Amino acid sequence: MTVVQVVINSIVRASELTLLSLGLTIVYDMLKFANFAHTEFAVVGVYLALFLNVTLGLPIIPAAIIASGATGVFSILVDRAVFKKMRSSSGIIIMVTSLGLAIALRNTIRAIWGADAQNYAVPLQTPIITEYFRITPIQIWIILVGLAAMFAFHLLLHHTKLGKAMRASSDNPELAQASGIATEKIITWVWFMAVTFASLGGILIGLETYILPYMGFAIIVPVFCATIMGGIGNPYGAMLGAMVLGFAENFGLYIDFGKIINLGGILNFSKELFIPTGYKPAISFVLLILVLLIRPRGILGKKKEG
Amino acid sequence: MGLVNFLVYLAIMMGIYAILSLSLNLQYGFTGLANFGHVVFFCLGAYMSTIIVLVFKMPFILGLLGGMVVAGLFGYIISIPTANLKEDYWAIATLAAAEIVRIFFLNEDWVVGGGPYQGGAFGIGGIPQPLRSLFSAHTYPFFYLVIVLVCLVATYIIINTLTQSAFGRVIKSIREGDNLPQALGKDVKRFRMKVMAVAGSFGGLAGCLWAHYHGFISPNQFLPLETFIIWAMVIVGGKANNKGAILGAVIIMIFYNSTRFLKDYIPIEAVTLASLRMVAIGILIVVAMLFMKEGLIKEKKTLY
Repeated sequence: MTVVQVVINSIVRASELTLLSLGLTIVYDMLKFANFAHTEFAVVGVYLALFLNVTLGLPIIPAAIIASGATGVFSILVDRAVFKKMRSSSGIIIMVTSLGLAIALRNTIRAIWGADAQNYAVPLQTPIITEYFRITPIQIWIILVGLAAMFAFHLLLHHTKLGKAMRASSDNPELAQASGIATEKIITWVWFMAVTFASLGGILIGLETYILPYMGFAIIVPVFCATIMGGIGNPYGAMLGAMVLGFAENFGLYIDFGKIINLGGILNFSKELFIPTGYKPAISFVLLILVLLIRPRGILGKKKEG
Repeated sequence: MGLVNFLVYLAIMMGIYAILSLSLNLQYGFTGLANFGHVVFFCLGAYMSTIIVLVFKMPFILGLLGGMVVAGLFGYIISIPTANLKEDYWAIATLAAAEIVRIFFLNEDWVVGGGPYQGGAFGIGGIPQPLRSLFSAHTYPFFYLVIVLVCLVATYIIINTLTQSAFGRVIKSIREGDNLPQALGKDVKRFRMKVMAVAGSFGGLAGCLWAHYHGFISPNQFLPLETFIIWAMVIVGGKANNKGAILGAVIIMIFYNSTRFLKDYIPIEAVTLASLRMVAIGILIVVAMLFMKEGLIKEKKTLY
């Protein structure tokens, strides 16, 4: 594998994680709790898209858009039924509730669609192959959607009234409410955007690899890691965190640590030392713990809480 | 499987899970530490005891103690970097730590000597049962039940004494926020670390009992799912109440094991049934948090 290829893989992974982390970070910021059901909402969108695409025969692009929007609406309903009743509870209570919700969602999906891996009905991808790398059209799509999401988010936060209200409500909910901002309305929008983006991210992962009921759980630690690394409540941090994690996961397996230990040939301790592929999931876990240890407020460290 | 055998099996499972639920209750109920990786102690206890008894041919009691010491040490060590974190960071960090340990046992088969004991993803079989030769196949489960109950009673007494002592008052004040204990000159971080060490060693104890009862362990038995089942026990039974933690374990275990017979009466696939069972547990957690925050047995409020 060439370096260019590893860089491409890293960017693809970062784009997927960005879509999921953006949503987690704004919900966290607005409602002050760690939503353990966030990635499970994404999987609901993934399976809705599968239903529209495979069972009803819709092309994948409209299927993905409709499914993501529908999942966004679904999250609003869940918020009304569950989280709205707990607005004044402590973060830990809401967090445990979201955990229960996550278990219920994941297993409902497994009961309906089964535990086996599935795929969207998309034509076989012919990769673009050059001397240095190969990339599939879907991977190009993932990168483009990731970039578009980041740009849309930036516009929303800084150039719309809703974005201004969101930032005000997250900084000081009482003051925002006193100034006539309808906090509940903002919360509804936050859920919709967060889960729609997450679902889109999930569908892209499903397109690149395959679809499993457990895929939400498989990405929860990387998504939390990216979010915390960027500083909770900081969308730009989430993007940066996703980027760092994407590169760390891919380069972690690519780098020959033997060379580093030998200081590039000066010493001679070991010949080759790669991280075994079985440990790939552990990279984000270790990184998460390191980040919590060294910079619990994230790289950008904007927020005051720690 | 006869009814009596099934009931003995159920009672053993209840006992083991009650120990787990008591030790999670010490962390979450009393100290406010949301440990989403509690299964790691269960896993470490099971593996350590297996390695000590099976590979090093030591007696069962040393395996039990070894498992408890290693799990307790692990609890102490992982709380060094995390003890000052807020509860949500704590939750994700413990979840990650538990998965790292599981991935380690999944990838490294040399820890059990490889060779005849397999290890890695294949799991380890042939774990000896203590004093097996003294009993017939029929009476042995009754004996094992006695071992489990003795361990459960010991765990209950120790944790109950601990939570009613001065130590218990400090950790309850930590649960309500760091300011009060700090104003009283208590080192909050040290107390959290001690709680993790004690709770970890009891989690390890449950793991040892589990491994030697089933005679087979594999990394797939220690998925995060197990942690969430223990959480359901604590939440339903009543947090910060040790009797509640045991009651929760009994209820969830009855529910969990009795629903497996449903497939004899309703035409339903085993996988679907397993999923629906977990859906029910998830909904149970949500409903309990919404409408029954204190659980079935409420925490005793005491004036000091």
